[in-house]
Amino acid sequence: MLITAFNWIVNNQPEFLRALGQHLVMSGVSLVFALAIGLPLAVLIINRGGLAFAVINSINALRTIPSLAILAIMMPLLGIGLWPSIVALTVLALPPILLNAFIGLRDVDPDAVEAAIGMGMSRGQVLRKIRIPLAAPAMFAGARTAAVQVLAGATLAPFIGGGGLGDFIAVGISMMDMSRLLVGAIPIAILALATEFTLGLAEKIFFAERTSA
Amino acid sequence: MITMEHVTKRYGEGGAASVDDLSLTVPEGSTVALIGPSGCGKTTTMRMINRLIDPTEGRIIVNGEDVTKVDPVILRRHIGYVIQQVGLFPHMTIAQNIAAVPRLLGWDEARIRNRTDELLHLVGLDPAEMLKRYPRQLSGGQRQRIGVARALAADPPVLLMDEPFGAIDPIARTRLQDEFRQILQRVRKTVVLVTHDLDEAIRLGDRIAIMKSGRIVQYDTPDAILSHPADAFVENFVGIDRAIKRLSLFTVSDAMTADRPRDGAHPVASTSNLRDALALMVAANSDVLAVVDTAGTVTGRLTRDAIFSV
Repeated sequence: MLITAFNWIVNNQPEFLRALGQHLVMSGVSLVFALAIGLPLAVLIINRGGLAFAVINSINALRTIPSLAILAIMMPLLGIGLWPSIVALTVLALPPILLNAFIGLRDVDPDAVEAAIGMGMSRGQVLRKIRIPLAAPAMFAGARTAAVQVLAGATLAPFIGGGGLGDFIAVGISMMDMSRLLVGAIPIAILALATEFTLGLAEKIFFAERTSA
Repeated sequence: MITMEHVTKRYGEGGAASVDDLSLTVPEGSTVALIGPSGCGKTTTMRMINRLIDPTEGRIIVNGEDVTKVDPVILRRHIGYVIQQVGLFPHMTIAQNIAAVPRLLGWDEARIRNRTDELLHLVGLDPAEMLKRYPRQLSGGQRQRIGVARALAADPPVLLMDEPFGAIDPIARTRLQDEFRQILQRVRKTVVLVTHDLDEAIRLGDRIAIMKSGRIVQYDTPDAILSHPADAFVENFVGIDRAIKRLSLFTVSDAMTADRPRDGAHPVASTSNLRDALALMVAANSDVLAVVDTAGTVTGRLTRDAIFSV
């Protein structure tokens, strides 16, 4: 069955690469959107108690909605195709990014913040020079979680016509063709694992000086 | 110089005053220790000086300027600040930590580098070894030294310290306190030190302000506070051993005479304090000690009566 799947990929390279490309573009674009919304939003709400409470609770509520439901909701709102999928995946990626960034910014060593204020840093300087750099590892960890979630979530995009590797799974199921199903499933699993591993490694390298004794 | 005039801090409308009509003058170049039981308002008092807390009433004048009339951010860049947990920035090297305020003030790189080296020498650390390291790689004592260096970086005339040696083990603490006193002899600063440790207040303070319920109960030299407590609260606060504590304010050379001690008398260094000298007497079961200088030569004697009459 694995060999059949592999042979299918070799024989249908253009189709496979197109689906892989769609999958990566869809995931990448949603991740970038989610970062572009989530990180500034976390910074914006960190010094505003009431607003932070409202935003964090809405995001937490959002997190309880299953991925498939989010995709399904997009259909009546935005129709079918690539863009509704990207919007849905952005919504999916937003909670881990925003929550990690917010908690990272909030839980920065209070003594460092106290010292920074006491030595004459303005609010903006405390944010730029102390809070954001110190929260960077948490922000990165949020992005890492989001990346894996989006890659996995993109599997469901075919339900609203978004394409991607999930197409093979959908076709495989409808035709009861297990090898075709694996053409989608195995690359998705590899992508998710590789992303998790690579980003985990990058996190260790980037933030080495924080942990080395 | 720091002058506080009728300063009151009240939290909430009509709430209890955590600092109550407090007036205090810290003379130029002297160190004042604020001490008292927890909740007495000592930390609040100190934090109003650099406006981490705004007073409800009263005036605070630092170097001739009313602190409520200047931008607190600018004010704080000219007041050194040291806290108990140091609060070094973990993502910055030691060099970057020390350079924090000079950078805020827009110093050029060469000046910052010179100043950083100078400060590390001042606090007894080797620049070559320290500059590139991160706070996590330092011991508690080293971190506290860096904290002091960072606070002194832009050479502020005023230094505020909130239990600066509280998190350090007792042996290293005494050494750091002595070092800090020597640093202060070289760089003249007006210092306000908050502490709950009477020994620290005695060791470092030119004057001590004992606080209770937001007020100063007694503001005087360590000697005067230990020998003449203003009331029962102060007497109780400084403890039953206040007479012995007071001896630590004087050195052997303050009480010795040039007479020759009898042979076999236990030696004591002329630079030791009288509290330690008395302890030696008790341990040696003797009422005379032979005073020796740093070279070990006998220079005179110290009698029990001389200690008792200090």
